[in-house]
Amino acid sequence: MSYEDWYRQDRLPHIFCAGCGNGTIINCTLAAIEQMDWKKEDTVFVSGIGCSSRAPGYILTDSLHTTHGRAIAFATGVKMANPDLHVVVFTGDGDMAAIGGNHFIHACRRNIDLTVICMNNQIYGMTGGQGSPTTPKGCLSSTTPFGCAETPFDLCELATAAGANYVSRWTSYHVKELEKAVKVGLETPGFSFIEALVQCPTAFGRRNKFRQVADHVEYLRSHSLLKAKRDRMLENGEHIPEDMYIVGEITRRKRPAMGVKP
Amino acid sequence: MKLAIDETRCKGCNLCTKVCPYKIFSEGKRLNRKGIALPELDRPERCANCRLQKLYGRQLCGVCQLTCPDQAIHWIDEEPYELHKVAIEY
Amino acid sequence: MTRTEFWQGNTACAEGALAAGCNFFGGYPITPSTEVAEHMAAKLPKRGGVFIQMEDEIAGIASIIGAAWTGARAMTATSGPGLSLMMENIGFAAMTETPCVVINVQRGGPSTGQPTMSAQGDMMQVRFGSQGDYAIIALCPATVQEMFELTVKAFNLADKYRVPVFLMADETIGHMREKVIVPDTVERVNRKPLVPGTLPFKADADLVPGFPQFGKGHHVHVTGLTHDERGYPAATNPKLHANLVQRLVDKIENARNDMADYDVINPGASRVFIAYGAPVRTVQQVMYDLNDTDIGFLRLRMVWPFPEKALAEFKNAKAFFIPEMNLGQMAREIERHIKLPVISIPKIGGELHTPADLISTLEAHP
Repeated sequence: MSYEDWYRQDRLPHIFCAGCGNGTIINCTLAAIEQMDWKKEDTVFVSGIGCSSRAPGYILTDSLHTTHGRAIAFATGVKMANPDLHVVVFTGDGDMAAIGGNHFIHACRRNIDLTVICMNNQIYGMTGGQGSPTTPKGCLSSTTPFGCAETPFDLCELATAAGANYVSRWTSYHVKELEKAVKVGLETPGFSFIEALVQCPTAFGRRNKFRQVADHVEYLRSHSLLKAKRDRMLENGEHIPEDMYIVGEITRRKRPAMGVKP
Repeated sequence: MKLAIDETRCKGCNLCTKVCPYKIFSEGKRLNRKGIALPELDRPERCANCRLQKLYGRQLCGVCQLTCPDQAIHWIDEEPYELHKVAIEY
Repeated sequence: MTRTEFWQGNTACAEGALAAGCNFFGGYPITPSTEVAEHMAAKLPKRGGVFIQMEDEIAGIASIIGAAWTGARAMTATSGPGLSLMMENIGFAAMTETPCVVINVQRGGPSTGQPTMSAQGDMMQVRFGSQGDYAIIALCPATVQEMFELTVKAFNLADKYRVPVFLMADETIGHMREKVIVPDTVERVNRKPLVPGTLPFKADADLVPGFPQFGKGHHVHVTGLTHDERGYPAATNPKLHANLVQRLVDKIENARNDMADYDVINPGASRVFIAYGAPVRTVQQVMYDLNDTDIGFLRLRMVWPFPEKALAEFKNAKAFFIPEMNLGQMAREIERHIKLPVISIPKIGGELHTPADLISTLEAHP
């Protein structure tokens, strides 16, 4: 038995572009779930709209592909009505941080027992590459043709501030670390948030000097800074470059949670 | 065990060529019917999972499979199982 | 056995939901529907149900749709502005055939309008508010007793037809206190479960597919995209989309005569009032005052799907009079169904029609 059994084999190959990192994140999530010994009938995947949100359609469990940004609100209903179900939410940066930002912070506040995996490609991929709330400053997109002028969201800091029990960030390069982080997220009672930075060769890379998929993945790798190392650097008063992504386990705590199986 | 790439799923992104610690995958040259150049396998018997999965009874490494965004990489059982002599350069 | 209570309309509605077995309420406070949420918050947890106050109305309806897929009988309550916010997810519920109940205690609009005044301005929005073609069921109570009974009925219709059902009350009925006769048990119609091994969105002869509840091993994929009978997205297939949307409309519209709920008074009359919701009470007063068998009354409890056969019951009718607390929303729908003169008696501003309003209109159309 391997995580491949969790795929709807009749629906593969999926619709993601060649080189898209979303498939990698689904692999890592399913590999973590496979280790949890969960039954397929007790697991529900919920998603909103966007590239990332097509993921539940390829997974052989009950799955709910909902309206734009509302995945976490739907998942709240599923989990509260039947706490015996394990509910995992796939979402994207535009889906979760823009239109669904309110539902996200309130789910963190309630600390409801969900695991939310955000595939952050820093752009709206499905609609053709518009700027999103996580598009880095200066990056090009079809709606920021002169470079993004807005400051992006730090989703992990947002989740921590709003009260999530477990928060971590990895990239699509760090597959083993991501798999372990998802597993910890699944095990943690309360709201778990895992941000996975993914490459988007079609909408983001093409406009931002990552013509090859591997170049973008290499950029994500080389611009990842472990949280422990960041903390050390802060202690020593060293300068931390602004374009680094802080990866690793950002938050783990035991605030009282809602919707935990009794 | 034997490494296999599913030709119906591979979209030719070549991410596997970047992540394999043994550099087993290399960029393909020949286009298939869908116009995709499948990665070529260089001495796949060097793969740790191919050699040792049966011995350890669990999945080893597997980074290529986890990374492959298109679920195209998997291992198939060889029938009958043959022992390979493998030279590994460090 | 029954018992008698003296309840507010909103309380009767919440009690009706509890009697019908509602076990999930997700909502957001909005005048004039807050008492429904307050009553549910007090009563539901003690009965093993779940009450959750969401961050907005969008999340409110999203949570009840999610809960409904786990088998819960789920409900939310709101008013006009909240209903506007819910529209996208109401379309989602219609597309995915999710049974759920939405209580809409109407207030004056548009926008924030008159939060504490009565209106019936959402009658067209509730039917056509979300994008695309779909059909829903809308019930209109005119008494506190009906707030109780129609809430029960809303749950049964939602489960039978797998569709969002709306209770279109108004501020007058929601905040009015009246005698309610409460039965010990109420009729309950449960969802038809999916037969294992059949396709989750393949409809039976009644055009309603069996319900593939989450957690039962059906491995169903529920999506708001145009989907085939397996539930898989097939958004670019024109024929499939046409068939799916046609079925979603037909399953309700074909059953309109089976589920119709109305009273006919003086069917031989030549001049006929048609009313739903609070204006029913004014018409009743006029009928009592005039005591004239030549004045008929069609009292609608179900407005959508519109029961057109009810109009045919008035064989000698020469004109229909439609008092509504909007600018003639349903009068236009009635005009569509009948060739006779339809005289709209609109009234907005938040007050009920007075009997004098109706009598003067009658006198103007002898």
